[in-house]
Amino acid sequence: MLQPPLQHKPSAEEAHDRRLDMLRHYGRQVGLPLVVAALIGLFTATSDVFFSAQNFRNIGVAAAALAAVSFGQTFTILTAGLDLSVGSTVALVSIVGAFAMRSYGVGLGILAALACGAAAGLLNGLVITKLKVFPFIATLATLSIFSGLALSLSAGVPVTGVPVDFSDLAYELMFGIPVPVVIAAAVLVVSHVILTYTRLGRRIYAVGGNEEAARLSGINIDGVKLAAYALSGFCAAVGSVILTARVASGQPALGASLPLESVAAVVLGGVSLFGGRGSVIGVAFGVMFVSILSNGLNMLNVSSYTQMMVIGAALILAVALDQALMGTRGGK
Amino acid sequence: MSVIPAGENVPVLAVENISKAYPGVRALDRVSFDLRRGEVHALIGENGAGKSTLIRVLSGDARPDEGTISLDGKRVSFASPRDARRSGIVAIFQELMIVGELSVAENVFLGNEPGLGGILYSRRQAERRAVEVLRRLAGDLAIDPAWPASRLSTAQKQIVEIARALVQCAPVLIMDEPTAALSDKEAAALLRIMRQLRAEGTGIVFISHRLDEVRGIADRITVLRGGERVATLDASAVADTHQLIELMVGRPMSELFPPRNTRIGEVVIEVRDLGRKGAFEEIDFNLRAGEVLGLAGLIGAGRTEAMRAIFGADVRDTGTVVKRGKPLRIRSPREGIAAGIAYLPEDRKEQGLILALSGTENIVMASLDRHGRFGLLSWPQMRQAARRVATNLKFRGRLGDPARAASGGNQQKLVIGKWVLTGADVLIFDEPTRGIDIAAKAEVYRLIHELAGAGAAIILVSSELPELMNVCHRILVMSGGRICDELDQEEFSERRILAAAFAAHMGGGSTGIGAS
Repeated sequence: MLQPPLQHKPSAEEAHDRRLDMLRHYGRQVGLPLVVAALIGLFTATSDVFFSAQNFRNIGVAAAALAAVSFGQTFTILTAGLDLSVGSTVALVSIVGAFAMRSYGVGLGILAALACGAAAGLLNGLVITKLKVFPFIATLATLSIFSGLALSLSAGVPVTGVPVDFSDLAYELMFGIPVPVVIAAAVLVVSHVILTYTRLGRRIYAVGGNEEAARLSGINIDGVKLAAYALSGFCAAVGSVILTARVASGQPALGASLPLESVAAVVLGGVSLFGGRGSVIGVAFGVMFVSILSNGLNMLNVSSYTQMMVIGAALILAVALDQALMGTRGGK
Repeated sequence: MSVIPAGENVPVLAVENISKAYPGVRALDRVSFDLRRGEVHALIGENGAGKSTLIRVLSGDARPDEGTISLDGKRVSFASPRDARRSGIVAIFQELMIVGELSVAENVFLGNEPGLGGILYSRRQAERRAVEVLRRLAGDLAIDPAWPASRLSTAQKQIVEIARALVQCAPVLIMDEPTAALSDKEAAALLRIMRQLRAEGTGIVFISHRLDEVRGIADRITVLRGGERVATLDASAVADTHQLIELMVGRPMSELFPPRNTRIGEVVIEVRDLGRKGAFEEIDFNLRAGEVLGLAGLIGAGRTEAMRAIFGADVRDTGTVVKRGKPLRIRSPREGIAAGIAYLPEDRKEQGLILALSGTENIVMASLDRHGRFGLLSWPQMRQAARRVATNLKFRGRLGDPARAASGGNQQKLVIGKWVLTGADVLIFDEPTRGIDIAAKAEVYRLIHELAGAGAAIILVSSELPELMNVCHRILVMSGGRICDELDQEEFSERRILAAAFAAHMGGGSTGIGAS
C-alpha cells in the first residue's frame, strides 16, 4: 500500500485526547442514530409484524405530526426558550381549521389553520419579549388560554363535517410515501435551510448561545425570538393539519401529549436546553426514536400507560447522559 | 532580610517533583516549590504555564500523578479541598466563594459557624468575632458584619474571604490573582493586609500578572513555563521587570510595546456633554483618526458605562455624538455598528463571544448582512472572510472549532476580528488584555497600532497604568463619572493619573476599599 510520508506521528496522549473530543463532538450526532438502529433490530427480532413496509408507513403517519411540531419546538429551544403551548395550539388550530374548511373549502381552510398557528406563536413571542415573561411561564399560560379558546369555540365537542378530500390526504400516498410523511420531510428541509443558511437561523444560535454577546453584535434579540416562536406556532399548525385530517374532524383536545413528546424528541435529538446547540437533523432522529419505541411497544402489547413511563425515563436518561458527556457546566 | 533564621526554617508547605498530566497536556513536570512561614512566595508565568494546576495541587483540588507534598515536614496527601482546608491551607480563587444572600458574618464563618454544641448558631457570637477579625484586616474601612454580602464590592468580598481564613487560623494562604479585579488603590490596601499577615507568620502563595506588584511584595519568586519550574529567585536579586518577563516568555523580549502610530489625521468623532444620571456626566472629548486615546480610572468611575452609551449598548440621558461632522442617533448596538463604531467588551466570555459557536461564526457575527445573496448565507464566503481576517490577526487555532477551545489571547483575536470585519473606524477596547499572557498582550498592542495606522480612531479603557502610558497618545482620567484630567503624551505620569482617578473620592473622607 502506498502512503504519503507521515509528517507528524500523533502520540498516544494526543490520540486519546482527540478520541475524547470526537466522542464529545459526534456523540450527539452518532449516538442517537445508533440507538434508533438498535431499537429497530430489537423489535424486528421480537415481533413478526414490525419489519414490514406497511408498518413503517404506519409509523411514518403516526410520527409526522410529532415531527412537524418538534421541528418548530427546535427553534424556541435553540434560543434557550421553550414552547409548552404547542399541544393546545394544535387543538385550537384544529378547531379553527375545521370551521374554516367547512365554510370556505380545503385550500382556504388550511391557510386559515396555518395563519392561526403562526398568530398563536407570535402571541407567545410578544408575551416573552415585550412583557418580559419567562418562556416557561408564558407558554404555560398560553397553553391554558389556547386550550380554553379551543373548547369555547367548539363548545367542547368535535367539529364534524370536514371535507372528505381533506381527510383522505392523511392516507394517500405520494411516490409510495404517505402524504403526512412528505409534509413532515418538507418541514424538515425548510427548517434545516432556515437554521443553517439564513441570517435568522444563525442569529437564533447566537441568541441562544450568548444573548448579551449577540446584542452587542447588533442582533435584534426580540425580533429573533419573535420569529422563533412564530415558526414554532406555524409548525404546530402543520402538525395540527395532519392530525385533523387523520381524525377527520376538529378536536378540542387534540395534541395533549405533544408538549412532552416534542421536548423529548428535541432534547433526545441533541439540542441543548440551554440553547445555541443542536440541529433539526438530530431532532428527526429524536422523533424516530419516540415513534418507533411507541410502535414497537404496541406490537409487544405494552400498554400506553407503561409507554408514557418509558418515554419519561428515556428523557431523563438522555439529559443525564448529555450532562455526563459535557461535564457539569450546563450549556453556556 | 528575613527575621527568622533561614537555617532552622522548615517550610510550612512543600511539594517535591510534582507531575500532573491531563489528557494531551503535561500540566506540571517535576516541579518543586516550598513556602516558609512569614513569607510571600509569588508564582508567575504565562497562561498555561502550570500555575493553576500547581495551586490546585497545593489546595487539594487535584491529586498529583507523581511527587510528594509535605506540611511542616510531614508527608501528606489531600483527598479534597475540604481536607486541605482542615490542614490549614486556604485558597482564595478569582471567583470568590461568597454567598450573597448570607450576611458578612455568616460568610466569614461559612461551614464553621460558632454556637452551642455544633448545632445551634449564635448570630451574636458570630458577629462579635467577625468584627474583631474584620477590624484587624480592614481597620477603619468598616465592613458591617450584619450586611448582606451581596452589598460588598469585590475588594470587600476578598477581605471577607481572608477573614474566613483567619478565623480558622490557617498558616497557609493561597491567593490567585487577588488584585486583578481591583483598582490600584484597592490593590494597595490588599497588599498592606498581606504584609500584615506575613508579619504575623502566615505563609502566602501569591499569583499575579502585575509584575511590579509581585516585585513589591514577594520575598521569593518562582517562575513557571510550560509546566516546568524555570527559576526560583530572591525578590531582592531581581534587577527589573524585564528580567521576569524574559524568564516567563523564554526568549529575550526587547519590546513589549510597539512604536506608536505616527499618522494622526482629522477629528473623527466628537462627544459632547454625554451624561446619564447616576453613572456619568459632562463627558466631552474629541478623537482623531490614527489616535489611541486612553481612558484611566478606578473600577466604577463610569468609564465602561460611558463607552457603552456611545456605542448604543446602554441608554444616555444627555449629549451628542458627532462623527465626521454628522450628528449620530444611536440607541442600540445595531445603530452603533451602522455608524462604524465597535465596542469590544471587557468580558470576552460573557459579552464578546458565543463560546459554543465556531471561530468563523463569531467573526462574521456582526456582519452577517454582508455574506450571501437572495437572503441565503454563503458558508464558503463566510469562511473565506473569517480566514482572511484571522490570518491578518495571526489567529492561531482552528476556525472551525468552537470559540471555547481557543486560548485567551486567541479568543480576544476572534473578538477583534469580528469588529475589524464590520469595517468600524472607531474602536473602543475595554480592558482588552485582562487575563491574557504577555506575548498575547504584545500582539494586542501591535494590532491596536496597526488599526490606528490604517486610520482607525481607538479608545483604550484600561486599569493598567503601564499599558495606558506605553500604548496611548493621550489619556483621559475619569473619576466619579466625570473626566477629571487630560494628559498629552509628554505629560504622562503615574502620580498625576492616580491623583485624578481619586479626585472624586477626596472631599468626602470615605476613600474606603471598594469606593465605587
